[in-house]
Amino acid sequence: MRGSFVALLKKDFRLCVSGGFFLLALGSLILYSCYINLVYAKLDQEMFPVYRYDPGKAGGERIAGVTDVGSLNELEEACADGYSVGLHINGDSVFGGKTEIIMVSCGIERLDHIREAYARSLLFQEDKTDALGQAEIIGVNTREMKNRRDMTAEVLFFELVAVGFLGVASMLFKEKQMGVIRVHAILPVSRIQFILSKLTLILSSDLLFAAVLTVINLGMPEGLKALPGVLLQAGILSLVMALVGFLCAELLPDFKQFSLIYLVIAVFITTPVFLSVQAGVEMGWMRFHPMYHLFTAMKNAYFQVLSAGGFYYGVCAAAIILLFLAAGWGLGREMKKEG
Amino acid sequence: MIGVNNLTFSYGKDKEALHGLDFTVGEGEIFGFLGPNGSGKSTTQKILTGILKGYGGRVSLLGQDIAAADTKELLKQIGVLFEFPYLYTNLSAVDNLRYFASFYPQERVRDVMELLDKLEFKKDYLKKPVASYSKGMRQRVSMARALLNSPKLLFLDEPTSGLDPSGAVLFRKIIEEERGNGTTVFLTTHNMVDADLLCDRVAFILNGNIAALDTPQNLKEQNRTALKEPTLEEVFIRYTGRGLEE
Repeated sequence: MRGSFVALLKKDFRLCVSGGFFLLALGSLILYSCYINLVYAKLDQEMFPVYRYDPGKAGGERIAGVTDVGSLNELEEACADGYSVGLHINGDSVFGGKTEIIMVSCGIERLDHIREAYARSLLFQEDKTDALGQAEIIGVNTREMKNRRDMTAEVLFFELVAVGFLGVASMLFKEKQMGVIRVHAILPVSRIQFILSKLTLILSSDLLFAAVLTVINLGMPEGLKALPGVLLQAGILSLVMALVGFLCAELLPDFKQFSLIYLVIAVFITTPVFLSVQAGVEMGWMRFHPMYHLFTAMKNAYFQVLSAGGFYYGVCAAAIILLFLAAGWGLGREMKKEG
Repeated sequence: MIGVNNLTFSYGKDKEALHGLDFTVGEGEIFGFLGPNGSGKSTTQKILTGILKGYGGRVSLLGQDIAAADTKELLKQIGVLFEFPYLYTNLSAVDNLRYFASFYPQERVRDVMELLDKLEFKKDYLKKPVASYSKGMRQRVSMARALLNSPKLLFLDEPTSGLDPSGAVLFRKIIEEERGNGTTVFLTTHNMVDADLLCDRVAFILNGNIAALDTPQNLKEQNRTALKEPTLEEVFIRYTGRGLEE
């Protein structure tokens, strides 16, 4: 049993090597890291506008980067752009631990915890009168570190969605083309093992990629702190995308049609997520978009904000199990095909 | 060794592929299964090798009903040569065979180099990727894969396809040797020379029914009056009304 799995794993590894998958991943790692380190980290990005309604003055004095408003209506109006962050502070003292901070708006229907993290970082920063009018420190982050976390989350998400998806599909298309999937139908090896070996390889590769990318771009201490959450989210996304890629490669007859699906995923599935989270383009249906939740969970993991709850993980687990079953069905269908 | 009783199979409504096949294959027998394209040969072989489920009737292999048997255990005792040489083209012959060998119990696995040597595989290609092999060389590697686990039951689909005459003679010799060692061979072919020379009995299948089943000699004898000195191919056409390539 273990011997068979190791053999499958070795074979898949060699397929990945011959297909240039690891080379592509290494190239992406270098490209992303150069961009983050040499360009993006140095950008003086506009932070999210933060508005505060603090009737009890529990938050204390004026805070640079936070605009105080006089009423709840005013707060809601200010946040109507779907981009700004609105905080309603209801309590005695922000620092006393009893304060209730109500997120009136944080972009899209309270789901964007990055902006929340940013807004909170303004409230809790030590120097509240920063001359630039924006937080230099976001929680424990410098502005540069905020940029690094932002962009590392984005490129990792892109890498896992696009490249990981492509990697498993190209591996399976090669096997389909060679006809060897049919050979596995008459070998004493289970379909589960066949799928698991590919998943293990892609998952390990993605987790390694995520770890190296995080450590390179966040630095060792910050990278290691963020790593557990990042690896968890990367693992979920990697499994989901690998299984979707696996299923598409099984169901579609050739790589040309797969490329079309790839475009559809890139343009119609991930682009709205980027637009919504990054550019604040308001889309009411976004909360029903699974990629949106995966993306925000990834971003929050980089900011070490625990946002996802049991429901999120339950849905992820259910999706992975369903996709796994579908992949097993697709594999059986492929094995029965004529030569 | 193989028992098939009233085997039926349908690919959906009005797409009945097999209409109640009945035949048995004894231990150490070479059984030819001949029929034109679309007659139900592949469907039967897929059912026998456990790839297709949902059939009607009863199928037993190696004394076990395949519906109830442990498929993995059965597959350990079966070797299959497909019509096309399906191999990992990025791997060498040796790596392909070592990979496939890893799924069988080591006590059943034959020495890869010995097998390739027996199949007269060119030694200078042993470490080169399969992508650089001719069809004949790929067919040799595929045959080695089918024999790798010392199978008790060997399914061969067009074994001599893509081979030059000397290669075809070698393959027939190897199939005879395997039978000599007690292996049962289920041979699906369009090649009447192979069927005539190798098979103890042949079945002609047409539209999911067995049109005739006997030894090649008897089939020719039975048709001697209608056709003066009939070949097996002529007998086949007489029974099925179609050529093998149709």
